[in-house]
Amino acid sequence: MLSARWLGLLAAGLGLAPLVLPPFFLQLLTEIAIVGLFATAFNLLMGFGGMVSFGHAAYFALGAYAAALLVRRAGVPMLLALPVAPLAAAAGALLFGFFIVRLTHTYFAMLSLAFAQIVFTVIFKWKSLTGGDDGLLDVWPPAFLKSPVAYYYFALAVVALCLLALRAIVESPFGYALTAVRENPRRARFIGINVRRHQLLAFVVSGAFSGMAGGLFAFYNGSVFPDFAYFTKSFEPLVVALLGGAQSFLGPLAGAFGFKILEWLISRQWPVYWPLFLGAIVIAVVVALPQGFVGLVGARAWTRSAGRR
Amino acid sequence: MDFITSLFPWITNGPLVTVQVMSGLSVGMFLFLVSVGMSLIFGVTRIVNLAHGSFYMVGAYLMVTMVEILPDRSWAFWIALLVAPLGVAALGGVIEVGLLRLIYRRDPLMQLILTFGLILVISTLVLLAWGPDNKSVARPEALAGSVRILGQPFPSYYLLVLGLSPLVAVGLWLIFYRTRWGMLIRAATVDREMLGALGVDVAALYTQVFVFGSWLAGFGGALAAPTVAVALGMDADVLTTAFVVVVIGGLGSFAGSFISALLVGELQSFGILIFPAVSIVLLFALMAVVLIVRPWGLLGRPEE
Repeated sequence: MLSARWLGLLAAGLGLAPLVLPPFFLQLLTEIAIVGLFATAFNLLMGFGGMVSFGHAAYFALGAYAAALLVRRAGVPMLLALPVAPLAAAAGALLFGFFIVRLTHTYFAMLSLAFAQIVFTVIFKWKSLTGGDDGLLDVWPPAFLKSPVAYYYFALAVVALCLLALRAIVESPFGYALTAVRENPRRARFIGINVRRHQLLAFVVSGAFSGMAGGLFAFYNGSVFPDFAYFTKSFEPLVVALLGGAQSFLGPLAGAFGFKILEWLISRQWPVYWPLFLGAIVIAVVVALPQGFVGLVGARAWTRSAGRR
Repeated sequence: MDFITSLFPWITNGPLVTVQVMSGLSVGMFLFLVSVGMSLIFGVTRIVNLAHGSFYMVGAYLMVTMVEILPDRSWAFWIALLVAPLGVAALGGVIEVGLLRLIYRRDPLMQLILTFGLILVISTLVLLAWGPDNKSVARPEALAGSVRILGQPFPSYYLLVLGLSPLVAVGLWLIFYRTRWGMLIRAATVDREMLGALGVDVAALYTQVFVFGSWLAGFGGALAAPTVAVALGMDADVLTTAFVVVVIGGLGSFAGSFISALLVGELQSFGILIFPAVSIVLLFALMAVVLIVRPWGLLGRPEE
């Protein structure tokens, strides 16, 4: 973990950022925070649980749509709708995860992808409820949160709380048991750990926080679209965690920072080429840097090493 | 029975059902070409090639270009149909030698992620090479119209597809079960290390299999080009369906891919009649059920 001094400096820097940065960069930072939360939640499964989901966009989208539907269709105020986002995503993760955690490795990844495609299709086709391809528009937060500065502080605070909670989960006996399951499921079972229940719980927790990221993004974006559940979206946390280093708790956050800055720099210059760059980066990281960029810097002091899978 | 006919009035319409079965078979044929290649590559190299849909798309786009540059003669279509898949096979060869070779010993998930990166790269390159507009390929003159089957119109081009499917299936069966190369492929799916220990050049076999699988995907794409709008996004559509086919049939199983491709083709064909809005959900629901009951697919083998 970063030392308290560095964390304090980081917090102060982020807190003072609105004084010096124009609104555009605050929006970029807000997006980084949200993507960082999504990737950290995803990495609870990949880095700590050794389970790689190829369908996490489903839970992001469930959270985003739950919050957006409550606001748009039921007139619920945003501050009450947002907490429902993680709950809805957790319910979805419990239902799908019940089946998914029965499988391992490649098949685990594929079943999670299949369920995400189902979520995508339902959202896409159920026009009367979700608006289908047109999405749901006008999903804005109340007036006092509408400015980029206000929403920046709000999202930052929510993300920080979520990260603290995730951190506490990783450091809890449950977190260590999960790591034990990752390292050796059979031995974990021998010492009395219920492997499947731990995996399912991790899946649900990861889904819930992904849903929270989705809810935050819905109000940041002002609209939700079926693309949120599409399989390319599922690869975002994967790529981000991979870039930052899945072995560390804060790796995905660093990855989100690098990912979003890069996306901004490249798509500003050559919007068409962004997927080409992203693909090339992904390939290069896989071939040359299996530890991610954090591994490249060798910043081992960042956190308790989660070791190799 | 009355209940069923009241729910699905078309079910007593024999000609309609026949035509629907036939179009399901031809859809299944395209799916078979893509998924058998994907399954073959997985069986030998243990890599799930997510870029397989991209190969299919490149095959269709190469078909567009070939038909454009060849002189406007009746044989041009057939030459294009031969040449376009070869281009895809070459692309597959470059990718195998240049990239996949470096990562065979790595975590399977890293391999999945790499082939996902390929999807992004290939789709952008296709966009740059062919532009954002949809393309189309004219059907060859002899097969441009439609024939009547039991009074129902049926596009004659699909008859070609239906005619080719047993040929391709039998051809693949002969290759797998009656040639030395096919025997090596089957041996590699069972035990690669043993095969290497017996003196077979496994690295070369990997390349050959990857090239052959890419060729099959390219052939599927080229053959499908006159039946669809050739567009960006084909890659994802085909990938997800082929993926379902492969998973239902069992990764690495030739017969499994065949049965499951026809099953999925029919399911898509009739799904549109039964549940117009959610036919795709049916597909994924079937896949989820298969994965839960038989996680390794109908004819696959359990993971070691």
